[in-house]
Amino acid sequence: MAQTRKSLIKIKPKRYKDGEIVKVSFMVMHPMATGMGKDKKTKKIIPAKYINSVKFVYNGKEITHMTVWESLSVNPVFTMYMKITGKGKLVVTYTDNTGEVHEKSKKIKPRG
Amino acid sequence: MQRRDFFKKLGTAAAVAAVVPTMSFAASAPKPTGPNKMDFKTAVDVITGGKTPKKSSKVKLKAPEIAENGAVVPVTVTVDSPMTASNYVKAIHILNGKNSNARCIDVFLTPANGKAMFSTRIKLGGTQDVTAIVELSDGTFLMASQSVKVTIGGCG
Repeated sequence: MAQTRKSLIKIKPKRYKDGEIVKVSFMVMHPMATGMGKDKKTKKIIPAKYINSVKFVYNGKEITHMTVWESLSVNPVFTMYMKITGKGKLVVTYTDNTGEVHEKSKKIKPRG
Repeated sequence: MQRRDFFKKLGTAAAVAAVVPTMSFAASAPKPTGPNKMDFKTAVDVITGGKTPKKSSKVKLKAPEIAENGAVVPVTVTVDSPMTASNYVKAIHILNGKNSNARCIDVFLTPANGKAMFSTRIKLGGTQDVTAIVELSDGTFLMASQSVKVTIGGCG
């Protein structure tokens, strides 16, 4: 089986300058189970597994943090704006209610 | 007359017989509740701390009027704000009206965002209102809401 991608950071537009405000979206492959649904075959309740919190950190400075509840859709997307202030790294971390932590980073290279 | 009365009684008896079993079944098997059950009013109180949020045209909530699939409903909240160090949007909360947990997401922004916008996808169990509550840096709360018609529920 091909390995599936767990998460993805997208920045729009692709080429950006220093000081520009860009759109950042963070996509996660996550079941987001509420703990209320039942498996159709086994008739057992699927245990809750949803994202608790998401953090956007840019060059060591926290830009945005979110508290997430189970009402978000399967494979959620978080989109917001961000101001580019020089070269650096954007690190996005999410935490699960089961204690799972996942980190994804992207280099920021402004041009011109 | 007698015949007519007889049919009337028969009809009511049949109607009662049809309704009663479904009612008793619903009472005996309550729906499973989520771990973070919270209704809409208490959720608003928890967020605002007792204050009543004002409806404002500064907050724009974009959601589909009719969502064919309740499992994926795109919601975008845009706030008209300069986002400077002294005047910025502190938090955006997205709430739903009828799901077992009324809170969807709480987003805490900083002036480094540049623009006050947030967009995500939520689950809706049925036709209901989607509400966005926005907290500004000076402590005031603004809100906007829109009803979304859901043809297939997306929860559970």
